[in-house]
Amino acid sequence: MNHESIGSLFVDEVKAIPGGEFVEMCYSCGTCVSKCMIQQKGEPEFNPRRLLRMVMMDMKDEAFDSRTTWLCSACDLCYPACPQKIHISGVIHAVKSLAVKNDKKTIQNIAVVDQQTCVACGLCVEVCPYEAIKIIETKVPYRGVINIASVDPGLCMACGTCSAVCRSTSIGVPEEFTDESVVEGLWTWLQSQGVET
Amino acid sequence: METRPKIALFQCKWCLYSEPDQNWVDNELPSSMHLVKLPCTGRINPLYILNAVQGGADGIVISGCLPEKCHYKEGNLRALRQHDEFLNFLDYIGYERSRVRFVWLDLQDRGRIQKELADFKSEIAKLGKAKVLATRSKVSPGGQYA
Amino acid sequence: MVDAARHPRIDVRTFTEVEKVEGFVGNFKVTLREKAKYVIADRCNGCGDCARVCPIEVPNYFDMNLAPRKAAYVPMSQSVPLVYNIDLDACIHCYKCVDACGALEAIDFSQEDQLVEEDIGAMIVATGFSHFDPSVMDEYGYSRYPNVITSMEMERLNNSAGPTAGNLIRPSDNKNPQKLAFINCVGSRDKRYNPSCSNFCCMYSIKNAILLKQMNPNVDITIYYIDIRTPSKGYEEFYDRAREMGIHFSQGRPSLITEDPETHNLFVHSEDVTLGKVMEKEYDMVMLNQAAVPQPDQNHMSSVLNVAQSPGGWFMEYHPKLRPMDSPTDGVFFAGACQGPKDIPSSVAQGSAASSRASRILQSDHWEIEPTVAVVFPERCSATTRGRACGICAKACPYGAINIFSPETPAEVVTAKCHGCGACVAECPEDAITQLHFTDAQILAQMRAVLADKPEEKILAFRCHWCSYGGADLAGTSHFEYSANERGLRVMCSARMDTDFIYEAYRLGAGSVLYSGCHPQDCHYITGQLIGAKRASRLEKIFDKMGMTDGRFRVEWISAAEGDKYARVLNEMQAVLDDIPMEDLKAEIEKLKPEMSKRLKKFPGVPGVQEAMDYSDILVDAITKQKETA
Repeated sequence: MNHESIGSLFVDEVKAIPGGEFVEMCYSCGTCVSKCMIQQKGEPEFNPRRLLRMVMMDMKDEAFDSRTTWLCSACDLCYPACPQKIHISGVIHAVKSLAVKNDKKTIQNIAVVDQQTCVACGLCVEVCPYEAIKIIETKVPYRGVINIASVDPGLCMACGTCSAVCRSTSIGVPEEFTDESVVEGLWTWLQSQGVET
Repeated sequence: METRPKIALFQCKWCLYSEPDQNWVDNELPSSMHLVKLPCTGRINPLYILNAVQGGADGIVISGCLPEKCHYKEGNLRALRQHDEFLNFLDYIGYERSRVRFVWLDLQDRGRIQKELADFKSEIAKLGKAKVLATRSKVSPGGQYA
Repeated sequence: MVDAARHPRIDVRTFTEVEKVEGFVGNFKVTLREKAKYVIADRCNGCGDCARVCPIEVPNYFDMNLAPRKAAYVPMSQSVPLVYNIDLDACIHCYKCVDACGALEAIDFSQEDQLVEEDIGAMIVATGFSHFDPSVMDEYGYSRYPNVITSMEMERLNNSAGPTAGNLIRPSDNKNPQKLAFINCVGSRDKRYNPSCSNFCCMYSIKNAILLKQMNPNVDITIYYIDIRTPSKGYEEFYDRAREMGIHFSQGRPSLITEDPETHNLFVHSEDVTLGKVMEKEYDMVMLNQAAVPQPDQNHMSSVLNVAQSPGGWFMEYHPKLRPMDSPTDGVFFAGACQGPKDIPSSVAQGSAASSRASRILQSDHWEIEPTVAVVFPERCSATTRGRACGICAKACPYGAINIFSPETPAEVVTAKCHGCGACVAECPEDAITQLHFTDAQILAQMRAVLADKPEEKILAFRCHWCSYGGADLAGTSHFEYSANERGLRVMCSARMDTDFIYEAYRLGAGSVLYSGCHPQDCHYITGQLIGAKRASRLEKIFDKMGMTDGRFRVEWISAAEGDKYARVLNEMQAVLDDIPMEDLKAEIEKLKPEMSKRLKKFPGVPGVQEAMDYSDILVDAITKQKETA
């Protein structure tokens, strides 16, 4: 065995990151895949088992481009189901952090902060399940250098909890669920049912 | 029309595991019910509920994943906490607490959402129409990304 | 079974428990508890009149509690011997059975459990296995969904002598299921429950599937598996036959079963790994092929019989390859699944092998044992010198081979029970026990010889015969390079590695000492390694306090398969020595010498040690002189 090749394999890189240690224990039973909600709710290509195989088979680029790497929200439904006790979301997180290191960008719509209205109250920092939001001193046009919230694109999973708590409506995930469309939808329905004022 | 209780259903898009149930909620909901599908129960802004209340909804159902099984780690726990506080306020202004129901759906609860909704409907029917609270006008969320 | 019961030289005792085992190979004294049946076995003719009149019905465990039995019962009609039994927990003492029995007068409620002592030459343990209870696996909903059943329940439902007379029905509505799923590896190959493979379940599910398909070719059967394991002769052909018959095999472990609340049909969620697609399929009935697990009272039996358990709880064999049916205790043998999950052919093979091993004992007038047994010097025992036996040796012995009959009499070794691990020898504070062929004097002479020349450069490795010695051997035969300064010394077990040896090694100026043995679960002498490990950690603390450089005393557990580990450990120890400048090392050795000699004060008094020291000194002198002249 050539000693220089050790440590340069993709699987060794993944194993070196906390959470990725047990990737090689996977015997491909597919429990995680059928447990996963993401692939069932409209992402048929999402397949943690396949990502683990990619890691083991040294398929670095394919792993970085896989939707599995980016869409896993670490809900850990698969972890208690895994017969090999592999922390699958930990492995996926390890692959993701390697991908971020290799300048890959997330494929998700992440939360965006309105720099003009954010008052740095910190409510979003409190509620974010992924600790993706931090209050950082930033130079903002017209407002000077002030503390405002800022979102880490590598951590945000676009759940929108921040937008639900924001008192100044300065943070949100720009995608199909906007406050206006929800309120509009509610009123259209209520009016169709007949509202007495 | 008015005899049927108007129910707004806020649903987290991950909580229904079985496809037939999701299909039913998506396509076959009776017209007296309105579905608001969101990524997480934590995404429900209290303003949405306030809007529904202002608009005259007789009941509100919030369905999400079980506390330990949230798709976003703990978004549903945040929602529970936030809405508990908010329901105190609704109670104060005269919207009974029993008109709002949380439903935690487990993976194995095939067919439960239909039962829960029917059960809730009959309960709301007993309570009757919701009171008209102040004016019935839209509450604007405002903000650029809102 | 009937043949065995009729055989004039076979005595079948049912409803009997082994209470206590004393003695040794060829001369066991076994206490049996013959439980009260409340039926006199000699009088009962098995007519079943008592059961017919008995008004009490309880679930029959033999039918997996799917059918009732009476309080007066036999578990099945083929029971051997066909003697009825009254379950007193269920009985309401109506005595209808007594009337029904009539003139036979076989029923006797005054019976009590009886303790019987028997002289036994050899024992064969065939206590079998139990099944994993899948109700702890929430995802499969066993015990919540009526139509999820275990393979054993299926076995009874599909049996012509079973509760449904062989008509397979589903519990929710008594209809014959048309679509069936079998799920393999329920609780086995699963680190949450049993990490090991249960060996026979793949074949077992294929067998059940073929039986069902033969009875009704229209049923649709799917077997969910992780891997299909069919390793024996004819097994793969059987699997082929199942596929030819149209049984579906789907690779992928189901993650969830959900139930339609109206029809009680079941939906199995799994990924078909070959397709890479998630499937949700509807079935009438789902069978869980649950793992084989040790009997619930396996721990109790292991302490009664004084046999060790492997990881997982199965009884441990003497040697996994060479003596798979022998227990570590002479005269006790294993047959079948009590030693590990096994299918029928292997159980039969092991049973036959065990009985022939056992008959070897019954045939012979004397029994050969390993010669490396322990011997007591009665005059040195604390019972003689101080009038009170300390009992440390008896506590250390993994086999219970040392008797101390009273505090005033010296310890006695039951030679037939002794296996020669040497734990008592090393533990004895008075050095009053020695092990033949591994006496203190012999080991000391070896140590002096290997440390005669430049001891500060040497690494003295104590290896246990069964594991680390094999590991060192493997390192050699595999051509792994390791430090040439290593000098190995073989003892039978890490339990024999006396503290005196280690002190003496440092007193002689050894650079490093390795204390190596088996991994705890691999110990050849049941608990020998534990005794060694305890002593080693005590030594580590002592040397740490003395101010010895870290790494000069090392404790490692190395199995016979870990040649690479042995080489690595030795190289690491060499690196530690290389890092210490020679003058510092020598100074440290000199500084610690008085400490070591202080602890060795009693050592020269041990019989033979002084002579060994003198003799080896002469020898060492001679060797050095020879070297100088050369």
